[in-house]
Amino acid sequence: MKSKLFHIVRREYLQQVKTKGFWIATFLIPALGLVFVYLQVILASTLIPEGKIGVVDLTGRLYAPLVAEQKTVSGVDEKDGKPADEKKKPEEKARRSTTKVTFFDVPATAETLPQVRKTLNERVQKKEVKAYIVIPADGLATGNVEWRARSVKADMVLRESVERALARAGTKERLRDQGVDPAVYEKARLTVNLDPREASEKVTSEEDKNVGVNLAVSGVLFFLIYISIFIYGAFIMRGVLEEKNNRIVEVIISSVKPTTLMLGKIIGIGLVGLTQYAVWGLFAFTLTLPGIAGLVGGAGGTIPSIPGATILAFVVFFLLGYFLYAGLYAALAAPFNTEQEAQQLVMIPGMMLVLASMMWFFAFNSPDGTLARVLSLFPFTAPLLMFMRISVQPPPAWEIALSIVILLLSIWGVAWFAGRVYRVGILMYGKKPTLPEIIRWARAAD
Amino acid sequence: MTSAISISGVTKRFGKFTAVDRLDLEVPLGVTFGLLGPNGAGKTTTIRMTMNITKADEGTIQVLGKPLADEMQERIGYLPEERGLYRKMTVIDQLLFFAAIKSVDRKTALSRLEKWIDVMDLRPWLAKKTEELSKGMQQKVQFLGTIVHDPEVLILDEPFSGLDPINVVLLKDFLVDFKKQGKTIVFSTHVMEQAEKLCDRIALIYRGRKLLDGTVKEIKRAYRDRVPLPPPVEPEPELEKIFIKAVEESGLAAPTSEELR
Repeated sequence: MKSKLFHIVRREYLQQVKTKGFWIATFLIPALGLVFVYLQVILASTLIPEGKIGVVDLTGRLYAPLVAEQKTVSGVDEKDGKPADEKKKPEEKARRSTTKVTFFDVPATAETLPQVRKTLNERVQKKEVKAYIVIPADGLATGNVEWRARSVKADMVLRESVERALARAGTKERLRDQGVDPAVYEKARLTVNLDPREASEKVTSEEDKNVGVNLAVSGVLFFLIYISIFIYGAFIMRGVLEEKNNRIVEVIISSVKPTTLMLGKIIGIGLVGLTQYAVWGLFAFTLTLPGIAGLVGGAGGTIPSIPGATILAFVVFFLLGYFLYAGLYAALAAPFNTEQEAQQLVMIPGMMLVLASMMWFFAFNSPDGTLARVLSLFPFTAPLLMFMRISVQPPPAWEIALSIVILLLSIWGVAWFAGRVYRVGILMYGKKPTLPEIIRWARAAD
Repeated sequence: MTSAISISGVTKRFGKFTAVDRLDLEVPLGVTFGLLGPNGAGKTTTIRMTMNITKADEGTIQVLGKPLADEMQERIGYLPEERGLYRKMTVIDQLLFFAAIKSVDRKTALSRLEKWIDVMDLRPWLAKKTEELSKGMQQKVQFLGTIVHDPEVLILDEPFSGLDPINVVLLKDFLVDFKKQGKTIVFSTHVMEQAEKLCDRIALIYRGRKLLDGTVKEIKRAYRDRVPLPPPVEPEPELEKIFIKAVEESGLAAPTSEELR
């Protein structure tokens, strides 16, 4: 005879997996992910600086070099509009992304400047001109240049592009003042590539060095933990409320303990999550099969292979995080009758998750930093941040162990709290209870 | 002789409010017992404590001669006042789930349900989701879920509230039949008329305390001189029976599943 818990888990699992929503989500999430990445690529190419820019050059020396620089930077051969240097390295090409900036000279002197400004301001407001710059007479000495546009916040990319072109033009003029041929500048410029390797005898593979791929893999897995806890937490909340609203819960707990019902729900929905991962894993695995990998690889980029330790850490910290948050969601839903009522308190775990997710870059950039170390021990951020640290640069074993122990103890504590609140809450209909009342239930329940 | 249910000195407080106050109650085996009282008298709390859903602050409760334990829940059939079904589950899945969590295996449950499915006209509905069922049909499923594990004791909290007339008759007939098998029934109600017709023994609870307890006859005899007698009435058919007769005589077919949706 199977245990009652088994039947609760089974019902919960089958009910979720049988829904269309589950399968739609299972296929939609990776599809959305791909669309998202694709959009990023598309959107990045729309970030080409563009616009007509007036140049008020009071030094009288920078306008012509600036226009010349802009052409070099844009790398566009004016005659046929095609990139001038197609054979360059990709990074080089990226830096010299096409710009559609045109400069026009606005003659002015210190005396006419106010009048010129007035005219230019009007033209900017009428959108005839994107922006204008004023290079003061001492601009070459100070590097201070005014940027005037409709908004001081917008056009970051455009501003950066103009800044770069100005800096190059200015530097060359200053070299000339020192008696150096500006052509030397291009020749003398050195682009440095830092080649990262682990400080050990081990040979660092090309893959490991690829920061972009590392970031992508860790980031995607990190995001998966984050979003799954969020989604399945919401599932649990909805399930608890549904059983209350359908008035079925009292029928069930006349057969099984409330804690068994709660645990069954958490395990069942957790298994739904693992099923989803299995589907995704299978999907990802087929992509790495030699034939298909060749196809995809040929289409640009290689499929990163994920280290075993990262996968293990992913599973362990997903499960720990899931059980920690699942208990909270169950406890915080039980006292209420509608999602709207529950929303207020359910925001608490939600905020903690968001907080943890915002810290990913700290953990990625300096996995041994104090902030990353503290947050990877604090139970509500640990599942995400300890995983991030492990995937970037494995911390000492004792830290990992401590984090797991703290998480296990916290899960136990949350389960204790959740069990008590749940037991009382599911039988409470009517008035919406306050947080102090809920805490009192937890203390009073025997 | 052991009692079906034995409650002694039980008190339950919710904060400052005393829901049940030093209650003593004996339900002998094989009787139909009515727990009467106005709303808020403490009936539901008493029943929930008997089902081990809420714990008593003081006193002891025994069911079938044994102290409360989870195994005892399997020998009781319980229909709470707040009752419902999973909306997205099919009728048969739901019934088998109820059986499973009472530790009844699938085969036994199916053979036990077989008889009732026909009695209650549920066969065409077995594969339908609960949300597609009419309210009356849902009530039948709920009731079937209560007895699928063939309990020795049946505890029903306001079982007649919200039932349509056909299901009232169905439930009454069932209770009479259940009693004939020598089983014990406890039900709460605030409709005295039902209690009078169906119960061997009744207890009246008010503000968590027991005011009256005994057989219907005993209680009536005790109050004979203090309560005015009603005027004699001519016997006449019950309205429920008339309703069912009228439906039968109309010759109209029962509503189809499409129409009920």
